[in-house]
Amino acid sequence: MTRQELDQALARLGLAVPEAERDEIAAATHLLEDMQARLRPPGGRDVAAEPSHVVKFSEG
Amino acid sequence: MVPDFLTIAEAARLIEQRELSPVELVDSRLARIQRFDGKLHSFIRVLADEARAAARTAEAEIAAGKYRGPLHGIPIGLKDIYETAGVATTGHSKVMQDHVPKADAFSVARLKAAGAIVMGKLATHEFALGGPSFDLPWPPARNPWDLSRFTGGSSSGTGASVAAGLVLGGTGSDTGGSIRGPAAFCGLAGIKPTYGLISRMGILPLAFSLDHAGPMAWTAEDCAILLQAMAGHDPADPGSANHPIPDYRAALAGEVKGLRIGLIRHFYERDNETNAATRAAIAAASQTLEDLGCSVREVTLSPLADWAACGMAIMQCEAYAIHEANLRARFTDYGEIFRDRMALAGLVTGADYVQALRRRRELIGELDRAMADLDLVMTAAAPSEAPPIDSVPKFAILERPSLTIAFNVTGSPAMSVCCGYTDAGLPLSFQLVGKRFADATVLRLAHAYEQATPWRDRRPSL
Repeated sequence: MTRQELDQALARLGLAVPEAERDEIAAATHLLEDMQARLRPPGGRDVAAEPSHVVKFSEG
Repeated sequence: MVPDFLTIAEAARLIEQRELSPVELVDSRLARIQRFDGKLHSFIRVLADEARAAARTAEAEIAAGKYRGPLHGIPIGLKDIYETAGVATTGHSKVMQDHVPKADAFSVARLKAAGAIVMGKLATHEFALGGPSFDLPWPPARNPWDLSRFTGGSSSGTGASVAAGLVLGGTGSDTGGSIRGPAAFCGLAGIKPTYGLISRMGILPLAFSLDHAGPMAWTAEDCAILLQAMAGHDPADPGSANHPIPDYRAALAGEVKGLRIGLIRHFYERDNETNAATRAAIAAASQTLEDLGCSVREVTLSPLADWAACGMAIMQCEAYAIHEANLRARFTDYGEIFRDRMALAGLVTGADYVQALRRRRELIGELDRAMADLDLVMTAAAPSEAPPIDSVPKFAILERPSLTIAFNVTGSPAMSVCCGYTDAGLPLSFQLVGKRFADATVLRLAHAYEQATPWRDRRPSL
């Protein structure tokens, strides 16, 4: 994510991030992109693959 | 003369036999706090008068034959996200520094009912996430084994105060490793119990579906004593499990011979490569467990980064939702580490969150299948000994995959167990993980390991 894209995203979120901290956040967005990619298997998921509705766990 | 260091079990035996007064014990801890906490910074607030009054009450009750059990008269500390009636609960943050709850957290009430004496409120990373931070109203806690070192987080004050003998045990919370990390770096035993075993009611949340409350102490036996008091169904917590609570301390005496352990070696040798000292200590611990009659075989799971991505996406979304209004209204009242981590978290999308929950379902099934013919798994609890406190990157939680968050994703009981020391005298640790609601098995094996090794005999010199 470029610095300009970050600024736009932060404006949408309504966050008053100090100017001095923005470059460091922008530089870290690749970590987020790596994380987001890992949530999606390369071949995609079965359309019906349910999320985990964790309120209570079963024994296991 | 009260010894500088006592376990809960040791102190309880002396108190029950009336060889040690709770008043003497509390006074001795207050003296240690006075002497050492100026450099440890493990306490945000010391409740000296309240603790002395509770100790006098405990002493009178015990003298009258009304001994409540092994926590009666035992000094403990509470991570400052556990709400306490009439006493500020701040999350170590300017944002909530004036927050004075009307009631105790469910688990705090249970600890008090068991006779534990609350010595004060302990340092944490800001709202159990942002730290170590030097721009908050209180400084970060320091590691008693080396004051220049990180305690681990986020239950930093609990780690420091228990290791330093300022309290005999304490409470932590664990959303991605916040009990097990400080336990590892401070040389303690710390268990993240099964999700739902301890109510979160009255504990400031970080991420609802990953948050676990739990105890930290010097030994597995002490953790069992604390867990016994803290565990139990609470209808006010929607995640609270209505599950029978066994006698955890009695279960320590059970047999460990024949337990089947899976070693997740690739987590710490390939996926998040630990240092040589940690690898050697885990290898030795594995051999000790085999010597105790357990079988150990290697198991392979999805890459650690997959577990971390799942857990971190969920944590970021849930935490952002909790803090959204305050982040918009008073962003710079938060410390820089917390607020910038949250700014990044705000970029995680709703679709990411649902994909993470779908991945979570897959990963829970994967661990359950891997453990079908196992009783426990073991792996590293931390990538190394405690690093220098000023060397922790702002986005460390995303830079290297966490060794602990996998078991927040699965809700499994997971424990840090001290397994030695570096040449410089810093603690090393490994992680034991059980099946859900088999917390007693985790504690039993950790106890057997502690009994078979000399690591509990060493304490930090302050």
